Amino acid sequence: MRRFVRPILMVPVFVAGITAALPAMAQTVNLRLGEDPESLYNVQTNSLTANGVINYVLERLVYIDQSGTPQPWLSSGWTVSDDQTQITFTLREGLTFTDGTPFDPAAVVAHFNTVLDPAVASPQLATQGPLTSVEATGPMTVVFTYSEPFAPAFNALSGVGAGINSPTAVAAAGSDYARMPVGTGAFIVEQWIPGTSITLVRNDDFHEQFRSDIQNPGPAHVERIVLNVITEEGVAQAALETGELSAAALQADAIAQFVDNPDFQTIINKSSGNLTFLEFNQQTAPFDDARVRMAIGHAIDRDAAVMAAWDGYAQAAFGPLSAAIPGYDQAVVDELGTPYDPEKALALFAEAGWTDSDGDGILDKDGAAASFTILSYAGFTSIDRTLQVIQANLADIGVPVDLQTSDWGAFYPSLLEDGWDMDLMRWTWDDADVLNQIYAGDGHRDKLTPNADIDNILNRCSTTMEPAARLSCVSDAQRALLENMTAVPILTNWEVVAVQSNISGYGFDHAGYLLATDIKVE
Amino acid sequence: MTAYIARRLAMTIPVLFGILFVTFLMKALIPTDAVLALYSGTVSEDKAAEAIAAIRAKYDLDKPWYHQFVLYVGDVARGDLGESVRTRQPVIDEIGYRYVNTMILTLASLVVALIVGLSTGIASAYWKGTWIDEVAMGIGLLGISMPAFFFGLILIFFFSVQLRWLPVMNAGDWKGLILPALTLGLIEAAPISRITRASMIEVLSQDYVKAIRAKGLPESHVVFRHALPNALLSILTILGLLIGGLLGGAFIIEVVFGWRGIGELAVKAIGWRDFTITQAIILVSATTYVMINLVIDILYAWADPRIKLG
Repeated sequence: MRRFVRPILMVPVFVAGITAALPAMAQTVNLRLGEDPESLYNVQTNSLTANGVINYVLERLVYIDQSGTPQPWLSSGWTVSDDQTQITFTLREGLTFTDGTPFDPAAVVAHFNTVLDPAVASPQLATQGPLTSVEATGPMTVVFTYSEPFAPAFNALSGVGAGINSPTAVAAAGSDYARMPVGTGAFIVEQWIPGTSITLVRNDDFHEQFRSDIQNPGPAHVERIVLNVITEEGVAQAALETGELSAAALQADAIAQFVDNPDFQTIINKSSGNLTFLEFNQQTAPFDDARVRMAIGHAIDRDAAVMAAWDGYAQAAFGPLSAAIPGYDQAVVDELGTPYDPEKALALFAEAGWTDSDGDGILDKDGAAASFTILSYAGFTSIDRTLQVIQANLADIGVPVDLQTSDWGAFYPSLLEDGWDMDLMRWTWDDADVLNQIYAGDGHRDKLTPNADIDNILNRCSTTMEPAARLSCVSDAQRALLENMTAVPILTNWEVVAVQSNISGYGFDHAGYLLATDIKVE
Repeated sequence: MTAYIARRLAMTIPVLFGILFVTFLMKALIPTDAVLALYSGTVSEDKAAEAIAAIRAKYDLDKPWYHQFVLYVGDVARGDLGESVRTRQPVIDEIGYRYVNTMILTLASLVVALIVGLSTGIASAYWKGTWIDEVAMGIGLLGISMPAFFFGLILIFFFSVQLRWLPVMNAGDWKGLILPALTLGLIEAAPISRITRASMIEVLSQDYVKAIRAKGLPESHVVFRHALPNALLSILTILGLLIGGLLGGAFIIEVVFGWRGIGELAVKAIGWRDFTITQAIILVSATTYVMINLVIDILYAWADPRIKLG
């Protein structure tokens, strides 16, 4: 029973803590968190929310610059072995974690050994691909060894999951480390009031800035960043209006209200890597037929979806990668994409044996009328509206579809089962490796027909380290996926953020993370 | 009385056992778990299969539901509510302070509900058939019909965005308590008001009231000293139900206002499929509800000597 007592006794302490910690508003930036992160120890999580917070605290060996090229960060450089299975990093000297302990090869080795330990069951394990070991080979050198060449290695090592923690702090804090990570970054976790807010305080001893995508060469301009947990969209919007939030990403419906408001500036991040797309259960007819998948592609009016779902703050997509991802090939997309063309859609359906033979306005084949289901996840207006546009477009060509949405936890596992035809899905990723993750073999849910040609290309892309050769491979992959119309791309949405007009320097890096040290409050 | 309390307390054990059993049955019917919810959507779930299996084994999620049930009951009997799969922290650390917050919100709402409900109920009964009665009952009808979610957002818009009296963002302090307690309290005030009105009308028409009025006692004395205590008994009867309503209503209100209670956590935990948290919240809420009803039954016997517990 003692366990019951402790948290209850802590409540007055919490309340006192909240009152005492009300920060001086001047140099504080208030931002929103959609939910409490599950953990701030990057070994234990890979959620977008947690990564967004940890990113303020932990730095990585490399970062990806705005052109998509890996650049040294906590490392000063690297070499790749001839067989491309080893990367040797030289670490920067003289850096310390915010607990005062030195940043050295032991810290790097300790972090990756924890991730690689199967007993830890780290969600980060999968992101590091065929990484087998990390060893210190000199006073400031570390060697990463892979079982085969891993093209997305630098992307994986630039991710928040590859952020280096102070091993001393990890050992000292035990399970409490998940609440107070210690890194070399520009901010330090000052306080986490579970479910309420996470306060980050500026690291005044921050080393010189090594990243060229950040303007500010030294410590952050602002003293504090308070990340406030606000679940409800309506509440977040109200908090923006009252000035309690300094900035927040906007849902499509709210954009118009802030765009013309002189108290705010709206920042549109068009380089975010995401794609909303229609997938098929290729294990069932007629979606095992590429002509039918292409017909669906030609039937969908992406511009209508962009307007309906995102109020125009999105871009119609015709290729399997989003345009901001390095390797996106516009020429291939122009050649093989499926622009809105209902006549062509009908012709392709007819080729596959589907015509309106009885004149009832609905396509049929062998006496069976077309009737399909599209599954998707609930709770997102943009998804609902995209679905409605698709439904209307398909109805126009005589293909009635039933829309079924459920919350993510129910929707996603249902895709592992049979009994569905299409699903509307969205990914966010900042590297072309996403194609491999989704489409290699029989796909990430065993619902694709394995295609040896596509597999060979994707495998080549995944194991080609040389940048130019990899980009060329990624182009081949886009061609193969579009020729097969493995999925129908719909749109890439932009991130629209409303920022109070007294704030400047609000911007994002290649991966979409806030460049927080550049922010200034006037 | 002691024997009665002991028996009632003993009866809570099968009740809680039954609630847990139903919870586990529901869990068995849901085709996913927290581990899959954590990993699904990270596009590389094929590569993550090993980690998924390891976490499932760690939390016994790879065992059949009845086996998990037996293990869980054993843990609960030892006072261990388990560890959240999502946060890897003891569940008691997740829900302890939140439970206190929910109780604070429930109590504050109850105070609002009682003050508003009793005063409007007494006023409408006393001035029955007048415009005061009409207005009070009209407001009561509005309270019963208004969805808590909608009412909450209206209050935020009015008090926080328009008047700027209260913060939109909830820091968990007394300022953050006002709007959620008002929302929940005003909605629950409606049934109190209607029941108070009905029983006051009944009591005020009884002979003993006529007798004390005939003796020339002041009206305030008649209403508050003699009529109200008798009318309050019927309020006490529904108090258990009302507190149940407040606890249930808190689930929605906590989400709207970002009040860090167990309701807000429960809604999230269901989305995360973090059943260790959901089970603990159900268990704690059910225990609270059963205990509150026990206390009310005892209060009832104390307030009305004609009632005997046994």
